[in-house]
This record gives sequence, C-alpha cells and structure tokens, in this order.
Amino acid sequence: MIYLDNAATSWPKPPAVVQAVCRALEAAGGNPGRTNHRLSFGAAEMIQECRENLARLFHIANPLRICFTANATEALNLALKGLLSPGDHVICSSMEHNSVWRPLVRLQESGVEVSIAASGPGGTVSAAAVAAQVRPNTRLIAIIHASNVSGAITPVAEIGDLAHERGILLLLDAAQTAGAIPIEVGTMHVDLLAFPGHKSLLGPQGTGGLFVSEAVQLMPLKEGGTGSDSSNQHQPDILPDRFESGTLNTPGIAGLNQAALYLLDRGVEEVRRYEAELTQRLVIGLAETSNVTVYGPPPGETRAAVVSFNIGAVDSVRTADELERRWGIASRSGLHCAPLAHRTLGTCKTGAVRFSPGPFTTTEEIDIALRAVRELSEKA
Amino acid sequence: MTRYLAVFPSLNQVALVKRALLREGVYVDMTRTPQCLSSTGCSFALRCSERKLSLLREACVAAHIRLGGIFEEDVGTDGPVYRLARPAD
Repeated sequence: MIYLDNAATSWPKPPAVVQAVCRALEAAGGNPGRTNHRLSFGAAEMIQECRENLARLFHIANPLRICFTANATEALNLALKGLLSPGDHVICSSMEHNSVWRPLVRLQESGVEVSIAASGPGGTVSAAAVAAQVRPNTRLIAIIHASNVSGAITPVAEIGDLAHERGILLLLDAAQTAGAIPIEVGTMHVDLLAFPGHKSLLGPQGTGGLFVSEAVQLMPLKEGGTGSDSSNQHQPDILPDRFESGTLNTPGIAGLNQAALYLLDRGVEEVRRYEAELTQRLVIGLAETSNVTVYGPPPGETRAAVVSFNIGAVDSVRTADELERRWGIASRSGLHCAPLAHRTLGTCKTGAVRFSPGPFTTTEEIDIALRAVRELSEKA
Repeated sequence: MTRYLAVFPSLNQVALVKRALLREGVYVDMTRTPQCLSSTGCSFALRCSERKLSLLREACVAAHIRLGGIFEEDVGTDGPVYRLARPAD
C-alpha cells in the first residue's frame, strides 16, 4: 500500500511506538495515580516522562500544564466549552474543522457570539481578517494552524501578537501541525494548544492533549476520580488532575512518549523540511496534470503536508476508490469533516481527494501517485 | 535512621519532582500518603533521607509546587510513627 492519508492518522508508526504499546500492556499494566504498587508508580512516571517530552516539543515550561485527552477533538471541546460563557465573543476562521465548528455552533445556541474571519482564495486566514472581527467582548480566537483540506498555514505568530496586545486568549488547533511544523507556545502567544497524538506526533490513536497556560481558567468537561484530593466533592484545582478524571490511556501514552522521543531525535524542523519537499513535488505534479484542479496555496508557496484536488467533475469518492483499487493508494475523499472549509473553497458538491504524505513517505511513492492521477485524468 | 515523607496534592507532581531529582542523580521513593496523614483524601508522597530533603524542597520550589506537609517517619512498636516536621506550604 502507498499510504497518503497521514492527515487522518499517521502510518506507519516508528517501531519503538509499537513496542512501547505492547510493553505497556504486557509488563506495565498498573493504573497510574490510584494504587500503591510499583506497576502503578511505573505507569505514573512514564506518563510524566511523556508530558516532559511533549513540553520539549512545544517549548512549554511547565509539563503539568499539559492535560491528556483522547484526541484533539476532546481537547478542543474542553477548551471551548470550559472557557466560553453566554455573552462572550469568539472568532474562528472559515477553514475550521467540525471539531471547532460544531462546539461553537452549540455554544452559539446558548448565547456565545461567534464570528468567522474569512480566508483568502488559497485558504489562508490573515491576521488582518481576524483583527477585523474583534469586538469589545471578544474572549477568544480559536484558529486552525493548518487546514486539513487546503494545507494553508495560518500566520499564528501574527495572530498571537494581535491577541496578546488586545488581551484576547488564543486557542490553536494543531491537529495537522503538532509534530510536523515547529510550535512554540510562548513566542506565538498560544494560551491553549489542542493536539492529537496519532497524527503528525506519530503516536497511537486514542491519544491527544491540551496545553493550558497559566492565564486561563477552564471549567472541566468531565468530573470524576483523579486519585487526588478525594474527600473534596468538587474537582481539584491543580493541573493536570482537574481535567484528567478517569483512568488514562496508559498504553497509548507509552506509545506517544516514544513517538515524541522519535521526533525530538529526528527534529520537527527536519520532518517539516522532508514533508515540504514531498508536498511541493505533489502540488507541482498535480498542477501540471491536465483536467486536475488543486486547492490551496499555489505551487511553490508554503503549506502543510496536505494536498486536495479533483479530476474534472469526477466524484472525489470515485477517484479515491480507483486509486486504491488499481494502485493501492490510500487517500481520503469527501468533505474531510470540514464543510466550512469546503464551502470556502467551493467544493461542497464534489468534495475533494486528499493526499497527505508523512515522514515515512518516499519520493517514489509520490511519483506513482502522480502517474496514477495522470492516467485517471486522461480517461476522465 | 529518620526518614521523611514529603506529601504532595497530586501523583503527577510527585512524578515530576522524582524525575527532576533523578536527573540530578538523586533517588527518592514514591509512595501513597498514609491515610492518617492525608487530610484531603488520597494523595501521594516522596520518601527520603534528611540529606535529600533539602534537594527535594529545592526541586519543588523550582517547579512551583506547594507541598502538603513534611513528616518525620520513625519506626514505632506498632508500625511507623509520624511527626509533622513542616506544615503545608
């Protein structure tokens, strides 16, 4: 198989990730934070090690401000629903995924004001477009770091400066960038960072997290056992306990820890450089193919490792099916859980086929994919 | 030899301080806080000698962690005996 669906979930994983998950299940099965034996303490130390390694990746000073979640969606829900109250105003972009948009629609129904900053034609949202939406009661800017449809990268540092100057909190949805594009929460003025563990961080599915800066007070999304302050009938105030009720996904976090170590060793900048080369090869190759429309920033312009396209008016699901059946190419078709982004790009009716290379994709695989699209386009 | 129990509100804080000390070559034991010392229900602690206690406290200060108290632990006839050595921060 030629796997070009890393934006949905990365595959393959580094071998150490697979081994760590197995080892956690076979030999380190204690429940962290609950009991008084070495399996439990070992699990707790491993989880802390993972927090520290993620903190190194995102340049977070205090690892205890990272709260584990099941995925980026849960982290985004916690950030949005834990922060916003009726009367607050929030700005998002026209490229948001449903993991931001659906919680915002629900909050809007309960009295939160929502504004959408429109992106340019390539899907990039400028700081000026965000600034134009600011109101006196703007509490939060919730913005996607890179679109999972167009690959357009948001100028986070500029938007972070804007938010910081005006006393507005910034929530960054790093679903497509955590582990693939360098993120520094301090210099970017990111107050809340939501990330999945299973995409560019190369960890197992069922892992993710939310960084919560000292400037933010959130209500928890769920309450329950934390293994701490048990006689208190309310959630503890300390992080990460406040947001980590229930047993954590210890095997998943064991894998995520090894994934973080892999990225720290290889370097996020190096992954970015490698994926950018593959991505430009794809964008240029597809743009040169007749009858193919490529969405997002034009060839040569920076973008995340996401390239969406269509062949003429052919249904994107049909194209993706043929790519897998005839060439064994795994892609993703449809609306990518991001109808807002597709509306912006004008692809709501057809959807789009998305290729998303990863750190283990080869140039040869990209060339096979390009030849396959060329052949399909000639017959369309 | 007298041992000390440094009580923390959360196991996550215990793990952070234990790992910070380990990076300095200092090993301390993780344990669950005895119920008789745990005023807030479940909590966890680090057990160490007097020599390591000051390093442990320095690590807590560096990590902005407030201890829930430090207790001296001695062996009594019916088990360990605890005496408050330093109240909660």
